[in-house]
Amino acid sequence: MSEARIVFDGVWKKFRRGEPHDSLRDLIPAMAARLFHRSGSAPVKDEFWALSDVSFEVRAGETLGIIGRNGAGKSTTLKLLTRILRPTRGRSEVRGRVGALIELAAGFHPDLTGRENVFLQGAIMGMRRREIERHLDQIVEFAGIGDFIDTQIKRYSSGMQARLGFSVAAHLEPDVLLIDEVLAVGDLSFQQKCYQRLREFRRSGVAIAFVSHNMQAVSMLCDRVIYLRPGTSPILGDVAEVVQQYVSGQNSAGDPRVAAVRCRLTHRGTSRPVSDPVTPGSWLRLECDLTSSVALPRMGFGMTVRRADGLVVFESGSTMEGHATRDVEAGDPVRCAIEFRANLLRGTYMVEPMLYDERRQWPIAALGSAVAFVIGETTRSNGVAELEPRYEFVPRGRGLLRDPLKRLLGAVHDRH
Amino acid sequence: MATPILSEFREMFAEQTEYRELLYQLTLRDLKLRYKQTVMGFGWAVFMPLVNTAVFSVIFTRVAPIDTGVPYPLWAYCGLAVWNFFASGVKFATNSLAGNVHLVTKVYFPREVLPVAAVLVSGVDFLVSTSVLAALMLWFHVIPGWALLYLPLLLVVQLMVAIAVSLVLSMANLFYRDVKYLVEVLMSLWMFATSVVYPVDRIGGKLGTLVGLNPLIPLVDAYRSVILYNRPPDSWGFLYVTVLSVVFLAGAWLVFHRAEFRFAESV
Repeated sequence: MSEARIVFDGVWKKFRRGEPHDSLRDLIPAMAARLFHRSGSAPVKDEFWALSDVSFEVRAGETLGIIGRNGAGKSTTLKLLTRILRPTRGRSEVRGRVGALIELAAGFHPDLTGRENVFLQGAIMGMRRREIERHLDQIVEFAGIGDFIDTQIKRYSSGMQARLGFSVAAHLEPDVLLIDEVLAVGDLSFQQKCYQRLREFRRSGVAIAFVSHNMQAVSMLCDRVIYLRPGTSPILGDVAEVVQQYVSGQNSAGDPRVAAVRCRLTHRGTSRPVSDPVTPGSWLRLECDLTSSVALPRMGFGMTVRRADGLVVFESGSTMEGHATRDVEAGDPVRCAIEFRANLLRGTYMVEPMLYDERRQWPIAALGSAVAFVIGETTRSNGVAELEPRYEFVPRGRGLLRDPLKRLLGAVHDRH
Repeated sequence: MATPILSEFREMFAEQTEYRELLYQLTLRDLKLRYKQTVMGFGWAVFMPLVNTAVFSVIFTRVAPIDTGVPYPLWAYCGLAVWNFFASGVKFATNSLAGNVHLVTKVYFPREVLPVAAVLVSGVDFLVSTSVLAALMLWFHVIPGWALLYLPLLLVVQLMVAIAVSLVLSMANLFYRDVKYLVEVLMSLWMFATSVVYPVDRIGGKLGTLVGLNPLIPLVDAYRSVILYNRPPDSWGFLYVTVLSVVFLAGAWLVFHRAEFRFAESV
């Protein structure tokens, strides 16, 4: 296996809450207090750990997703990697040239032209002038800025600025790339271009650390994911597994009266569990063993399929398809199974089984035990659903002739 | 003990070399911005020393005449141009970190680049202002000689002093914003403690001895020697400022480099 480009080894990072001294007026009382209280034993009340004991490695050509709620330490992790911050304990190391797609327009100055800003921003990112000159045309082209390149940046729309920023960064030739939620810039087609560029980086062996709240983007781009949780140790592992934990951790836990003893997702007709990425259109089988501590009359069961970013792709239940309800007795083991066809495109999806009350059409028990599966790469990588399109060029002339009104008019026209 | 510090310096130099393009681009940026929306453009670089020269010429040729060996306006302009290089560089540099917080907190690069770029910008202003000095010398028939060959050496020493002071003040200003106001006061006091518009050796007494420690006095005197009097700089005085600038720069840079990683957290 290739060498590790990013090494994060037992990193701890402490921050101080509140304002540091910003003027001498605050410093003098603080110094006096320190003098009289004999520091050392002073309580460290305003300090907190932003990261506690986080370790991971990213090898060349590998992409690591960094996820977690706000304040979990994602941006701190990236700032440690870029060397803006230094760890309180542990080791943070990046080998090779680092490109940071963090604040894309940080170095831009509104009064300078696009061209001047490209050179400035390039230099901030550590590019040499000759390198920037060599890529200038491509940068302008990629950003779609055109003749505006010699206009002052303050006349640009915010979208144009962001595009130019990404474009400069995209033409760096890094060994390690650090990305912080920047792909939300620009319109859809520009975002597609950005993702395309990132895939190129990955193929050319760049090690990428990618911070995002967009689970769909994470499952599309990443090989592994680390889920940072404040106060507890992070979870590091396969995309599907970790993303699922993150998403199910976001939702409230299921009804405590109903316990899912076992839930598994297999390929239909086999006992083979779904672990590797699945091809679109595969038949899958979800099987759940449940027990309830109370009697639940007239129950139906169903599922919600959610994409990793939270989009509900499908939701339905047995009674909607005309199946009879069932009375669940207290302590009675129930097994239910759903077979479905995964007509979905690349991404991570969660299947959440549920029991629901037929009369109220309301899930009484979202069983807090979702299972996830990943749809692997296909030729059509954009969108949600596999619509199985058939394409055809229809000759236009024949279409016109077939139109009866046109034919009639033609006949009338001919008579004159 | 000595070896780790040496290797630290080696690392610091290597980092500066790696980011020399950024130093160039930032200097260029500040120069462009300074002159982008002004009518006088580079004229501003000569305007301030010229106005001051006129004012002090009235004072020191009419009100309280002093003897300077060369025509007073020439003597004063030379001192003011040199002083302006130092003072405006330091003032500008003091706010260079705090004024670029968005860069300091978001992007990694050796932070020394910001104050150094500020000093280089005023270096360019200085070069521009020397054109007026040349014109004044022609007007007063003062012809420079071989001593001008010392000029590059003086520039290097001056850059070292200015950068050392700038590193300390820009860092202090990042932690305590009072510093930039203090610098304003400090700079005007410092000017009158340096032989900019009058020779400070006239102060005399205990105050005179104290003022005599000011390392900028031999530096400004050295400029006048090589430009106006065609004499090499005073060896002891110049040695004093050179040694002091090397020591001060090394110390300031080391402190700056070691505090650098806390900059992003302290703003």
